[in-house]
Amino acid sequence: MIRRAVVKECQLLLQDRGALASLFALPLIFVITFGFMFSGVSSQDKARVIAVHYHKENKLAARIVKTIDGSGMFRVDYVATVKGVEEYVAGSDGRVGLILPHKLNPAGGVPAQLIIDEAASIQFRGPVVGAIRSLVGKGMAPGDPSAKPPDFLAIRTPPGIKKPMKNVSGFQVSVPGNAVLFGFFLALTVALSFVEERRSGTWRRLLAAPVHRPTLLVAKLVPYFLVGLVQMGFLLGVGALAFGMQVAGSVVALCVLTVAVVFCATGLGLFIASFGGTEKQVGSVGSIIILVMGLLGGAMVPRMVMPESMQQIGLAVPHGWALEGYYDVLIREGTTLGDIGVPILAVFGFGVVFTVVGALKFKFER
Amino acid sequence: MNIVEAKGLGKEYGELTAVDSLDLHIPEGEIFGFLGPNGAGKTTAISMMCGVITPTRGTATIDGHDIRDDAFAAKRAIGLVPQDLAVYEEINARQNLAFFGALYDLSGVELNKRIDWVLEVAGLTDRAKEPVEQFSGGMKRRLNMAVGLMHKPKLLVLDEPTVGVDPQSRNYIFETIRSLQSEHGMSVLYTSHYMEEVQSLCDRVAILDKGELIANDRVDDLINAHASGALQLDLAKDADGQAALAAAMEHGEANLSGSKLEVKVTTSIGAAITAVEQAGVEVVSMRSLQADLETVFLTLTGKKLRDEK
Repeated sequence: MIRRAVVKECQLLLQDRGALASLFALPLIFVITFGFMFSGVSSQDKARVIAVHYHKENKLAARIVKTIDGSGMFRVDYVATVKGVEEYVAGSDGRVGLILPHKLNPAGGVPAQLIIDEAASIQFRGPVVGAIRSLVGKGMAPGDPSAKPPDFLAIRTPPGIKKPMKNVSGFQVSVPGNAVLFGFFLALTVALSFVEERRSGTWRRLLAAPVHRPTLLVAKLVPYFLVGLVQMGFLLGVGALAFGMQVAGSVVALCVLTVAVVFCATGLGLFIASFGGTEKQVGSVGSIIILVMGLLGGAMVPRMVMPESMQQIGLAVPHGWALEGYYDVLIREGTTLGDIGVPILAVFGFGVVFTVVGALKFKFER
Repeated sequence: MNIVEAKGLGKEYGELTAVDSLDLHIPEGEIFGFLGPNGAGKTTAISMMCGVITPTRGTATIDGHDIRDDAFAAKRAIGLVPQDLAVYEEINARQNLAFFGALYDLSGVELNKRIDWVLEVAGLTDRAKEPVEQFSGGMKRRLNMAVGLMHKPKLLVLDEPTVGVDPQSRNYIFETIRSLQSEHGMSVLYTSHYMEEVQSLCDRVAILDKGELIANDRVDDLINAHASGALQLDLAKDADGQAALAAAMEHGEANLSGSKLEVKVTTSIGAAITAVEQAGVEVVSMRSLQADLETVFLTLTGKKLRDEK
């Protein structure tokens, strides 16, 4: 009997693509993605590029640079001007620079300057700042690290990048990350609601009513769009009221971005529903799609700590753009609607594509 | 006037012909039966008439409105009661009816009046505010029918409405259908693979098999035309059934099931019995089979309706 039961269960399992994907494909995707992330961290530890401006005749500065270059943790790229270092760091995420002024004299109030995006995630910023602080200190006082003067290293954000608000808490990062991750689960709810309509027979009844078919789709999606807004409002509201999450930028920008995210999630739901399938299939395949998108987009691990290639891949999913926008508007002071216009348009664009393709692919008479 | 007129209505799914050029008319005010085994194409045919699926070819008019050119008017004339329990089980009966009523532009006082009426028709007035998931199977069936009545359609289309229903609820549904016809002048299209239901309820019947219409007439006329001269012989237990079958087949269509031999006689009943006995088979008893739609179907297709399930 047990043998027959095993055979039967295997036969059922082989027919259940969703379960197979959950069992085999999903963990594999996570293993590969996390593997790339960790290998990226490792290679960054070995030789992260640091743009350095210093005067070669300044022996102290030259010693510091030599210490940094010789550490194996950084590869020093000499930059001729201060502005050049600032522009390099402001040019892209995850960059770092060091300025050793001509009159470098920490004891006399002229410290070294670490140029970094102070609003970058702590996972990126923490190790870099720690390593540079240690190496610069070692370069200043090679024999006795305790002899280095206080305030020997100033940290500042270059022009072109908005500064972070003061007292940024962990919730500034964890709330939007999880709000985006779970906000997109709305797509699964939307897709499953279509499956349930078909299963129960109510879909036939709707088709028999004197209502245009596109209207039926809109009538199905609008309630979930509104539910999504309530969900995101709830998550962000709890983050603000219970955990002290603050909005460093424009509240209007935050609201517009949230509307774009919910619109996108609703459209993704229609897109998933357009493939049809049973409740089990949509449930498992939909979960995989949403989890993988969340992983790639940085909802679980910030994109900034990923290698450059993974960071670019993260922008191929709406989560990546949404989180860019949320981090800016929640952390960087003075962020306006215009400042996060690109992320908003990107998320909205994904939503339009999902909705249009989903609507065109959707089979009313399946 | 005909409430339904279908001309060459057909539906194909790739190589499969679900319904093949259906020509059909249903007189207004009648209860019309659509009989056929599972998979015969009944649901596909009514789905095309109701606008649920698009015909591959042909068209139909409902209450004079073409389902292609004047789809909304045609849909307003129809109240579809699907085979599935097509209601939202998480909400209550009243909420279900309010939603489906709104699809037909009912609102306000009119909507509430209509809800009260269909709840009364379905015998669910006392349970209107209970979640549907707490209903018995029969109550859900009645609510399913009530939803189809919300906009007082001229044609009520019931697709296998008694599947999984207890006898009490079945009788309630039948009585309701009869009263809707007699008191409200509603036309009814009733699909089933239970020939007894169709025979007792319907004025006229169409029989569909493998997507083709094989009969369409008044129930009595159909039985009289196709189901005469059938008898059942009970053979002795040790009798040679094959010999009896061979002898009977000389006088018509014959089927042997255990010790029972059914013969649809085309010569004469006496000659058929004599032939069986002359084959050396002892006949213990015999009786004339009452003609019904089952025998009509057997005559027309050479198989039993239930065989196709």
